[in-house]
Amino acid sequence: MSEETGSRQAAAPVDSLERSIESAVQRLERARPFAKPGMAPSVLELARRLLLAPDGIARLYRLAPRLDAAGIFHGSDWQHPETLLAGLVANTFEQGDRQSVTIECISLLRALAVANGEHICPGYSPEQARHFLTQVMAHNLNRVFAGSASEVLRLRQSELTPVVDQLFAFLVEHIGYEDILGKLCDEIWRILGQRPLQVQNVKAMITQIALTLTRSEGLIGDARLGADRLISALFGPTQGCIDDPGLPAYRERLEAMDFNALQQEAGGFARAMHDVGLVSDYHASFLRWLLNVGRQELVADALGLSSTGRDCLQCYSELSYRLITEAIHTETAQAVYGLAMLLERGILYMPAIAPGLWRQIALPLSGQAANTLAVVFGTAHPPGVYLLAAVIAVLGQPLGVGQGNNPTCQSARAISMWAYSDPDYLLQMIAQVARFDSLLMHFEGQAINSGTLAAGLGLSVPIDNDPVSTLLVPHLDRIYHEMGQRCAGRGEDPHCWINPEFHGWWVGREFAIAVDVGSGQLKDYDRFLRHFFASYHPLYNGNQPMIHPQPAGLAMTDSLGRFVGWHAISLMRVALDQAGTMRVYFYNPNNDSGQDWGQEVTVSTQGNGERFGESSLPFPQLASRLYIFHDEPLSVPPLDAVPEPEVAAARELALASWARDRLPG
Amino acid sequence: MANSKGNKGYVALLGWVLNAIDAVDRMEDRRYVVVAPEWAREYAESNNIPFISWDFERINDRSVELAERLKEEGVDVAIPLFEETVEWAGAINSVLLDNPRLLGQSLLFRDKALMKRRAQLGGIRVGIFEEAHDKSDVIRFLKRVNQALLKLDGDPNDPIHLKAFDKAGCLGHRVIRTPDEVDSIPDEEFPSLMESHLDGWEFAVEAWIHDGKIRFLNISEYVTLGYSVFVPASPELEKWRPRITEEIEKLIDTFDISFGLIHPEYFVTSDGKMYFGEVAYRPPGFKVFELLERAYGFNAYQATVLCFDPHTTEEEITDFFPKEVVDATGHAGCFGVYPRRRVVSELVIPEETEQDPFFEYHELQAPLENKVTKRTAFGTHWGLVYFFGDDPYRMRELLKHQESLDFYV
Repeated sequence: MSEETGSRQAAAPVDSLERSIESAVQRLERARPFAKPGMAPSVLELARRLLLAPDGIARLYRLAPRLDAAGIFHGSDWQHPETLLAGLVANTFEQGDRQSVTIECISLLRALAVANGEHICPGYSPEQARHFLTQVMAHNLNRVFAGSASEVLRLRQSELTPVVDQLFAFLVEHIGYEDILGKLCDEIWRILGQRPLQVQNVKAMITQIALTLTRSEGLIGDARLGADRLISALFGPTQGCIDDPGLPAYRERLEAMDFNALQQEAGGFARAMHDVGLVSDYHASFLRWLLNVGRQELVADALGLSSTGRDCLQCYSELSYRLITEAIHTETAQAVYGLAMLLERGILYMPAIAPGLWRQIALPLSGQAANTLAVVFGTAHPPGVYLLAAVIAVLGQPLGVGQGNNPTCQSARAISMWAYSDPDYLLQMIAQVARFDSLLMHFEGQAINSGTLAAGLGLSVPIDNDPVSTLLVPHLDRIYHEMGQRCAGRGEDPHCWINPEFHGWWVGREFAIAVDVGSGQLKDYDRFLRHFFASYHPLYNGNQPMIHPQPAGLAMTDSLGRFVGWHAISLMRVALDQAGTMRVYFYNPNNDSGQDWGQEVTVSTQGNGERFGESSLPFPQLASRLYIFHDEPLSVPPLDAVPEPEVAAARELALASWARDRLPG
Repeated sequence: MANSKGNKGYVALLGWVLNAIDAVDRMEDRRYVVVAPEWAREYAESNNIPFISWDFERINDRSVELAERLKEEGVDVAIPLFEETVEWAGAINSVLLDNPRLLGQSLLFRDKALMKRRAQLGGIRVGIFEEAHDKSDVIRFLKRVNQALLKLDGDPNDPIHLKAFDKAGCLGHRVIRTPDEVDSIPDEEFPSLMESHLDGWEFAVEAWIHDGKIRFLNISEYVTLGYSVFVPASPELEKWRPRITEEIEKLIDTFDISFGLIHPEYFVTSDGKMYFGEVAYRPPGFKVFELLERAYGFNAYQATVLCFDPHTTEEEITDFFPKEVVDATGHAGCFGVYPRRRVVSELVIPEETEQDPFFEYHELQAPLENKVTKRTAFGTHWGLVYFFGDDPYRMRELLKHQESLDFYV
């Protein structure tokens, strides 16, 4: 069959398709809101086929405002465009079924119509729409610039994959390139500002940007500037590797350098690492080379240590060098930052840490642990190398621990808390699990052995975590779950008993909760809030800073202030920020701590006095989302000392969001 | 909300059908209330759908209670949406409309053996039928029918049909050819109705009746029973329309129907005789209402409400209904998909179906289980595929052809 007859044949179905769509859309338009979700699938099915037809995207774009008005999104996650998260779009395109992919396409076309002023959505301005589309494209750079070239996408390719690529081309035509790169760089800086342990994603995005910049010379404007620093930090942080020569060539160059040049290299690596939070492969290679050639004196410079870190390195030089030779390779380069921070924290001066690390270096892994690590992290090095690198990272950056895409915030929080407050205990646990595949904890005097328990919430081995979490979380999760079982039927929230026993002696034995567990209704809420202010707010607690991180529970809300679920965090500090606002600094185990919780409660992660990995909110805003905290039982805080306006601010935010339907009737 | 509507009738829908609720909610001058099981309450309340919770499973003596409640509420008439609510509607309407005959009438619709007898008494041609109380009745009937057809031992039997007394459509409908097959019938399917097999063209009719007269008569052409149907029917079948209209009028007289919607099934045999199969007093299955809306543009649920409502005027009726066949913009058909393999893992719409200009959309879901349960009786399809086009012959072939395609592989 010739091309020509082919296209003629294809044309006829498009006309009949548009007739069919017309009929289905009319039906949807006529339907009452409650009947719309039942009629949407037929329209979506027809829209999907329109997408596949010649010129389908433009046709669907013209139809998008009408589909929106007809109620195609009614009752779905896409109903309120102002609450859509740009970061989720890529996932829908990769994992979604045909219907979800289609509705996502229509949603983007709706946003484009709004951005272009061709469609009006109440509560969704053209600026919002344009911002959203820019973010979406930043998250899908691979599609925008290179087609769906990634291997993952290729494997999952479906009939709609080319259509989605065309859709992005269509969006770019209308939005332009510059915005996208700028947005993406902002996004990466924001994530790196929290110094996460897991940087694979960020590295992948930077690689995307680097490729894009080389390929699309001329298309991109000022966005280069922010991107260049990210790219150089990863691919050419120093004079010696600025042209990204490859590791063998770089080592040859090192051989030819004099001391001054090497010192400059060390300083360049350290600056890039501390500035950006990423470690270049060249940096790891440089450190190994220094030890190989006996240039130990440059290690402190290469790690960018302050006097504290230098002192620590000098006292524990043998251990430190050994950690580098054992754990730091190009595949584990990021651990260089962990090592620097570990030395800076000074925890090596605690008597149990150095011997604990020596145990870790020599630790024989159980078959199961070795196998799990090999499956998840690869076999370029023995599994123990990945584990040791992660131990260094976790101890160096306790607040960099994340739960990944797993429902295990409790376990992630515990690991972070131990790394922060009780690092030798954490080392003990890692050694137990890695060697014996079991973990022994006690609850109310009774032993709980994870090796004998069935799986908890997390179900299987998490694969998007650091190696320490990968090994530890399944065990912690089971134990946590078992403790919950043992509290069943006590008529109070089980965290009351679990939190102190699970996390450590420093967790306050007094338990405060905002809701009645049976009914879910608020219970003595005023007193709860006053108690929190009186115990934690330095202006009302006698200026007592927090001593240890304390577990706390938050009622999470979405960007519309609607209740989403309960979430575990650690309260870290309460202090004035540089603007004089009293803020609560806390650790959030989810991967991205900068979140919009509605009602202008926006979690800040940098710029308001946060240390790396901390999130913060003004005190009353945090209080408004709090539903569980711990306190010392013997101190009776003076509740009346807290001024009513402070409490009222928190209460009003709560009552207008998560606690809206929880007023005891 | 319901009270703000105009001065026409106030109807009760018996059963929860979202498309029906949507249709009546959009009738500006009529009020309604949905009578459905408790599980629908939350949804109804959160969407402002007037709702009365009722358990239709419970035995019928409480129908008076429901009737009184609806009467107090001011409801004019009850409309059954499912086979199971037909006798409830009869009982309720006999109170609401002060017409005790309606209860008896509804019982005729619910008992297929009584229904046939009544039809026979009215001079309507029916096949040979008998009631079966156990398996031995079935074997005897099979033998007698084939004896009567002068079959010899060893000749292949003519099949007989077995239908549950009170089930809708193809539910519990079995075709029996040999005594061995009788063993596979579970005891709970008795008593049931046995009928001789008629070789011929089976089709269904949807007739809207108001004031004792037919106001719209649709002929639904079955391409294959239990698989596919389209409306309006092909010219070959439509040429029987005058005869079919006569038959329906006979049915209206015999069953003394003055309002509502009936959904009878007939056979036309090769010698041109029409045999009555059965009749239901409720909307048909297989989404025929949706097909009618696609073909003619009118909403068949609204049509039903108009025909039930005692306050509907002659003018409203004549304005509402289009002219049969000539007013249709095309032929709308659907095909019920059954997996053809024993083990399936995914839903794949055949390329030729997907590319067909008549294809519109489908309601198929990805399989939840890999193993396909063996079909008992006629079984239930896994979802419908919808077609629309202007050529009835192409439609018929297309629907027939779908039977040879795999939608689940």
